[in-house]
Amino acid sequence: MRAYQKTALRFLLIELPVLVILVFALAPFVWMLLTSVKPNADLSIFPVRYWPSEFTADHFKMLWQRTSFFHNWLNSLLIATGAVIVGLSVSIPAAYAFSRFKFAGRNMFLTGFLVINMFPVVLLIIPLFVLMRHLGLIDTFIGVIIGHSTFSIPFSIWMLVSYFNAIPQDLDEAAVIDGASRLQTIRLVVLPLIMPGVVTTAIYVFITSWNEYLYAMMLSGDKVRPVTVALQLFIGEFTVQWGLLTAGGALIALPVTLLFLVIQKRLVGGLTAGAVKS
Amino acid sequence: MHPMTRQKLLPYSFLLPALAITGVVIIYPVFQTLILSIQNYVLYAPDEARYIGLQNFQKLLKDEVFWISLSHSVIWVTSIVVLQLLLGLGSALLLNQSFWWRGVARALVIVPWALPSVIIGLIWTWIYDYNVGVLNDLLLRAHLIDQPVAWLSHPQTSFAAIMLTLVWQGFPFFAVMILAGLQTVPQELYEAARIDGATAFRQFWHVTLPSIAGIMATAVLLRIIWVANSLDIILVMTGGGPGYATYTLPLYAFLRAYSEMEFGYAAALALVMTLLLLGIVFLYVRRQAKELA
Amino acid sequence: MTMKRRTFLKLAGSAAAATGLACPAIAQGTTTVRWWYHYDNPQSTPQALIEKFEAANKGIKIQAEAIPWGGGTDYVNRVFSSVVAGNQPDCAMVRLSYLSRFQQMKALEPLDSYLSGWANKADISDDVWKINRAPDGKAYYMPLHYVVIYLYYRQDLFQQAGLQAPKTHADFLKAAQALTKDGVFGYGMRGGAGGFDNWGAFVLGAGATFEKGGMLTNQALEANRWYIELATKHKVVPPSAPTDAFRQIVDGFKAGRSAMIIHHIGSSAEVVAALGDKVSAVPVPRAANGGGWTYFGDESNAVFAGSKNKEAAFQWISFLSSGENNAEQAKLSGQLPVTISGSKNWTQHPQRFVDASSASLPIARSLPDHVKTPDFTARILPTNIQRALAGEIAPDDVMKAIDQLYHG
Repeated sequence: MRAYQKTALRFLLIELPVLVILVFALAPFVWMLLTSVKPNADLSIFPVRYWPSEFTADHFKMLWQRTSFFHNWLNSLLIATGAVIVGLSVSIPAAYAFSRFKFAGRNMFLTGFLVINMFPVVLLIIPLFVLMRHLGLIDTFIGVIIGHSTFSIPFSIWMLVSYFNAIPQDLDEAAVIDGASRLQTIRLVVLPLIMPGVVTTAIYVFITSWNEYLYAMMLSGDKVRPVTVALQLFIGEFTVQWGLLTAGGALIALPVTLLFLVIQKRLVGGLTAGAVKS
Repeated sequence: MHPMTRQKLLPYSFLLPALAITGVVIIYPVFQTLILSIQNYVLYAPDEARYIGLQNFQKLLKDEVFWISLSHSVIWVTSIVVLQLLLGLGSALLLNQSFWWRGVARALVIVPWALPSVIIGLIWTWIYDYNVGVLNDLLLRAHLIDQPVAWLSHPQTSFAAIMLTLVWQGFPFFAVMILAGLQTVPQELYEAARIDGATAFRQFWHVTLPSIAGIMATAVLLRIIWVANSLDIILVMTGGGPGYATYTLPLYAFLRAYSEMEFGYAAALALVMTLLLLGIVFLYVRRQAKELA
Repeated sequence: MTMKRRTFLKLAGSAAAATGLACPAIAQGTTTVRWWYHYDNPQSTPQALIEKFEAANKGIKIQAEAIPWGGGTDYVNRVFSSVVAGNQPDCAMVRLSYLSRFQQMKALEPLDSYLSGWANKADISDDVWKINRAPDGKAYYMPLHYVVIYLYYRQDLFQQAGLQAPKTHADFLKAAQALTKDGVFGYGMRGGAGGFDNWGAFVLGAGATFEKGGMLTNQALEANRWYIELATKHKVVPPSAPTDAFRQIVDGFKAGRSAMIIHHIGSSAEVVAALGDKVSAVPVPRAANGGGWTYFGDESNAVFAGSKNKEAAFQWISFLSSGENNAEQAKLSGQLPVTISGSKNWTQHPQRFVDASSASLPIARSLPDHVKTPDFTARILPTNIQRALAGEIAPDDVMKAIDQLYHG
């Protein structure tokens, strides 16, 4: 087949469908971005005005000058990072144990971690609030981070168990026979192999924590208020500040997208690293 | 310590940190909620709360809204998860091919998932809006409709409209999970299949699918639980309306808990939902156990 | 939890007993008063008011915290769970519809003894004090600001059609029918969240009451049928009416898609920005027998029984309800000042909307002070109205459901 035919075929079968999917995924987001640079007068009219009559950075300026949005943005970053660190550091050993050891109560514990994830959080929030108040953790970073581990730990354990299971057990057994300790085996042999899985799980925990509202609303006050709660302040009883809201939304989506742009190579990197070794 | 005992305790020591944290932040509230479900606990009248046995559950069986919400929840979870899975699988397979802007495409596909539900709900409500919505505007300009449609206000269209929003929000999750799973498929298997002369479809069916089946099953399971519990987008978009058209079980439990403050009854509703989900999990765990054996 | 609450109540009691003795101490040490509030505009901050207060009241620091409104549920959740957990603020903004629930929890401190010595009490009208009084005869709420629901109408469209602003329900229907044409609907009905203020104008206005059987009189049933038929029979409301909330009705009105909406002064700024002089307002129309009802949207401050700084908290909330401070506060909230002196020379809103608000006061009422009222507004009324609008149930079933809620 000639080169240009090959290119055309690849465009038709791969790039075009990817483009369609991206249009679906991005259209509402682009709409939001356009709204964030429109003057307020362009917002509630019909027929809809798609292209802004003029571009304005007012909404972003207002976010910066008149609200505590950027402070909240940093709080969110801290909380989500904390949730990833706490979630992964307790989940990786647990998932390894579930995947590699046979022990009494194994199935019970594994199922248990799933079951506790099934309870609607809206009903857990008030008992948790009372508990956090007794522990003195209301309006602290650690309080919100621990609150977020209610979903991050069960989820991480389950995802990581399936990634661990996908790695042949002979590999780490060979290392143990070679005299490596359990921890060395995990760190040097198994972890590099499941890196794509760890990264994916980390992304999931980060995003979920970044976007979480209910726990954050109940457990945070002015001091550690994250961006989702700050955003909710733009939706008043009688007005929605569309400009501020969409500008804020754009800034919220930004770090996650950038993070993924950087990290997606690791998804592939993990594979090649594994392939070279085997 | 005896080496054998140490060996036996090792897995538990690996579990300990996870157990300790979840024990405090989940088990305790869940336990409290269990107790609430056998009381007539109303938040604003805590002194009048008393044990009433299974009365909440008896009341629930006779509650018309419970049955409406339950049937909606079944349709809701099945359709959303299936559509998310198919779209996510398709996206993952495409994004696993090589083309020059693959890195950017992989990063951009995650955008819907990177937005908080509150914003998603508001933006989509606005898109569907009868008076100033983009969807009606586009369809009118394309002459596909000659009158704007009140998407969220008709019982027939509102549920589907919200489901589309959820599919949009959640398919990147499957795309990313499956994409990561695809990276663990050993290349030798494909080479072997190619040498045997297998077509692209047969390669997918006999090599790709079996290799990612485990991760897909886990992703589906986690997603079922997540979608079954999700209510923030419904709450923002319709609050359950029109009428009961977009009521699901967690939404109903939420409304009973926070508008009526009837925590006892709401806890019973939540408990029933957890038990139903437990059924699905049980089927899955049995399958897992068979695989491990 | 019962035990916990009892101990908490006991603590609250002893703190209350101690306040008399503790009074002089306030002047010396520093007391921090925690106050929770919600403003519609995130750019509004009470900082200037706090500085003014702290300068005048040495020894008291105000720690103000904005709580997200979240359709009402978030704010209320936050307040109620903090009462249950025992870490409520010293004072907070509150609504009348939750007074019964607060009372049942014994969460609030009666303000009568403080009020008797308060110099600015007479600057708030007796009517407002009466509305805010609890069924047990005590005052728990310090009025802060308010809005009254009225009728926005497009005076340009009315003029073109040779119509006057409607004074009665019959006028209203006639006008809505005449103006429903060319993609414009006569009335942007609010059937979604908060729709009780639209429904109330026509159904409570025509004589339906919350007494036992008050929703089931012929008069009441007839009025409710008439309201539902605006959509089902006369088709003068947009098809999106069943789920439209304030955002949608205001957007539709601004975009020129409806000729009348029922809302309050809070949306006047954006409506005028879009429509200018084409829009004006009058009180909601009255029933044939002259009866009328419109919603009095209240906001007050209250001091919590569990507070250890009740005296200082009262000083702060009374500061906010005094003369020019109250007017400043109303500018931040976008609503109307509750003081008589603050209402004079009020220039924050165009005069015609202030006039329509004050002309509405004679028929302005709050909803019944009852533990079920939040459920009525949030769930029972919208759900049933929506079902009736969709033809799933008969209009009369709406009224039966309300009667069942309050008296079932």
